Amino acid sequence: MGPQHPMTHGLWTLKVKVDGETVVDTIPDLGYIHRGVEKICESRDFTKITTYCDRLCYASANTWSHSYIYAAEDLLEVEVPERAEYIRVIAVELQRIASHLMWLGAFCPDIGNLTAFVWCLREREMMLDLLQELGGSRMHYNFPRIGGVKRDLPIGFAMRARAKIKLFLDRIQETEQLLDESTVFLVRTQGVGYAKPEEMVNWGVTGPNVRAGGVNYDVRWAHPYSVYDQLDWDVSVERPSIKGADSYDRYRVRVDEMRQSALMCLDALNKIPGGAETHYSEGDPMIISKAKERAEEGKTGFHHFEDSRGESMFYMVGGGDQRGKHPYRISIRSPMFLTIPYASKCMIGYKVADIPAIMGSFDPCIGETDR
Amino acid sequence: MGDWFTVRTWASDFSQMVADNTIGKTSFSGYSDTLAAVITETIMAVNVFAIIMGTILVLLWIERKFFARIMDRRGATMAIRSLWVGEGGEHVDWYDELPFGAGKPIRWLNGLLNNTFGSSSKYETVDRVNDRGYHGIWFLLPGLIQNVADGMKFMTKEWMVPAKADKFIFEVAPFLIITSTVMIFAFIPLSSEIYSANPELSLLFLMAIFGIAPLGVFFAGWSSNNKYTLLGGIRSAAQLTAYEIPLLVTVLSVAVLSGSLNIIEIVEFQISSGSWNLFLLPLGAALFLITMVAEVERIPFDMPEAEAELVEGWWTEYGGMRWGLMFASEYLRSYAACLLFALFFLGGWEMPFGDSITNIIPNQDLILGSVGIGLIGLAIGMRSEYPALLAPIPLVFMSILPPVAWLLFKSWVLFALFVWIRASFHRIRTDQILEFGWRWLLPLSLVNLGIAFWLRLSAWEGGEWPLFVPGLITAIALVVFVILGIDEDTSELEGRTRPYSVYTGEVGPASPRSHEK
Repeated sequence: MGPQHPMTHGLWTLKVKVDGETVVDTIPDLGYIHRGVEKICESRDFTKITTYCDRLCYASANTWSHSYIYAAEDLLEVEVPERAEYIRVIAVELQRIASHLMWLGAFCPDIGNLTAFVWCLREREMMLDLLQELGGSRMHYNFPRIGGVKRDLPIGFAMRARAKIKLFLDRIQETEQLLDESTVFLVRTQGVGYAKPEEMVNWGVTGPNVRAGGVNYDVRWAHPYSVYDQLDWDVSVERPSIKGADSYDRYRVRVDEMRQSALMCLDALNKIPGGAETHYSEGDPMIISKAKERAEEGKTGFHHFEDSRGESMFYMVGGGDQRGKHPYRISIRSPMFLTIPYASKCMIGYKVADIPAIMGSFDPCIGETDR
Repeated sequence: MGDWFTVRTWASDFSQMVADNTIGKTSFSGYSDTLAAVITETIMAVNVFAIIMGTILVLLWIERKFFARIMDRRGATMAIRSLWVGEGGEHVDWYDELPFGAGKPIRWLNGLLNNTFGSSSKYETVDRVNDRGYHGIWFLLPGLIQNVADGMKFMTKEWMVPAKADKFIFEVAPFLIITSTVMIFAFIPLSSEIYSANPELSLLFLMAIFGIAPLGVFFAGWSSNNKYTLLGGIRSAAQLTAYEIPLLVTVLSVAVLSGSLNIIEIVEFQISSGSWNLFLLPLGAALFLITMVAEVERIPFDMPEAEAELVEGWWTEYGGMRWGLMFASEYLRSYAACLLFALFFLGGWEMPFGDSITNIIPNQDLILGSVGIGLIGLAIGMRSEYPALLAPIPLVFMSILPPVAWLLFKSWVLFALFVWIRASFHRIRTDQILEFGWRWLLPLSLVNLGIAFWLRLSAWEGGEWPLFVPGLITAIALVVFVILGIDEDTSELEGRTRPYSVYTGEVGPASPRSHEK
């Protein structure tokens, strides 16, 4: 199956060996869109890497650029004003909702329903509108800056965001009812693609997929960064059956997470401190001019971040005088690169018709996988 | 009210006249009756074909519009209309470039259409693209003739056969599917006076022909020499056994109840006995609906063409007009399924409460009947907010509608139900439909057959049904429907647990703040 197949949600190949309609063996074949992002980043300024990180994942651009920014701030030792952190949280959580909606919208046509797809995209549109107000773009925002964010919240943003999030909370319930109360959806997703929690931990699966298996690991809670420890929210963890997490668990945990993100956004809009301090006081050019001193040779910057699909990590090594404003090395840990092999393994023993129902439920994104 | 739209009588009168005046005046006058019969049959076949092909557009239109409405997507696919309406009411003026003013008639027509039907919005085209909303006039039925444009597109596409395909069977399969689909309509009566063939066992013929197309699907899947198409074809064959038997048993129950294997007689029985079969065999109606959705391979039973895992199933390698015609035949089969449901369970071409109305009005003459209904409508209209004089018009109009219109209208409503089903369900798996078919549909259809036998042999005493029989059955069916429809999962949905979950114990604190609560 692939590289051009409706199931793949990207550009990759799943070699499937079947016995009749039963899947006997699978081999994932990745790397079709390897762009060498890590290598490109070595020859670019710290400030210019953000745009590349935006393009790591087409469905969840903001989380990746923020992930980079936190690592860069760790390397360059930059303090961030609190208001900027709140704005970042709002942007990331809106992006998470949009990404999960995109996932739900792609998952439902996989098992035959187009209505949920259109509904999800309709609601995603509201999130994209809000993100457009922040970043000025609909897909690749280039929103965060080292030391802050691109610009403050626009006037009236909080009002519009509250209204849209409340509407979203109403509508996601509608979509949920369409799916949860349909027996056909339940028989297609329940009991297929069992993923055992201990195996998932061993394979390095993170994010909603592992939380669906009952493993209570969310970077935002386990290692709180930014202002997540000041907000009122719950980690969405499913209680799976003894066999592990099935596709339905993964669906539930993502829907719950969308709710939590929406509530988090509302809470952040309430708690956000006033003032116009949204950027490191000395501004971008100053950071770059100081990069030589701050990013010394051999000094490392590291951050792990809760991406929409799992734990993304950036590991950066500074180059000192030799590299100037560029990092010496950047290493990116992609959650889906570790999840896709395990997801392919989950399919063995199920029917061909279950392949989209299992693979789709893991939310593959090939842009970040191939990097 | 009788059927005044006696097309068949008109056709036979006409052809008899033609035959008598041509061949009847020569030495072959013995053959004039034969010639008349041939002409009559030809006229009727063309008639039926024209009615079906003309109204299939409505079906596709319902599919687009109703589906879009359910999905909250106000789309108007206006390919044809966009030829004459441009931005801000301006026209695309390619015709002005033509030499010698050859484009002037087109400009005139364009102007006329624009002035009459065009929208005054300045950004008509932009609106249409961005918002996908229709800002014009509803009675143009936007999108109705979109399929003509689609057909033109299919005809201009190249026809390719895969290099390693079995070319002969690959070519034969579409013809098998399309011809058998069109043949279905030979046996479907559109009213007691509009049909192209009426053998004594038309029901049997019809179900036999309905079962040919899956064979063509299997041929197509095998001959394409492609793994996806092969899986699709085999799924279609496996699915066939699961739903075809319950379908035939359900149809048999209708035949038993009506005492005939002729479709026209089945409908006449429903009209004369005073109750539609829907009220006598609600279980049979449900079974027939489910099995017919499976028969025409629509969601949730469209595994043979599951686009997520099998790309397009057995259709994958087809293209061009053959694909277009197969797609059309898919909708023709849906149309046939809706028409059959209307014929078997909804009284066919009978107007709803038609017999009650004719009973109320003693004079069954068409005009007087219409006037009588018009007076009733006037009485209703005077009590409502509508202008009193306008109220009877729709009722008079309804009462003089030809019966074929009622049949088509019923089938359109049923097709809207099909679309609704498609919009709200997912696709189920092959093993699940096999299980569903054998474990549930088959026993239930046998129960339904038993009910039909009991009704025909014990409850019916000739003439009309006693009113309590359909009333009681319908009441029981409604109660069962409501009980089954009550959502018992609501509390579980709230608690975020699942019906089939095996709970393994506490998984620790669920959140950073859960210990505070």
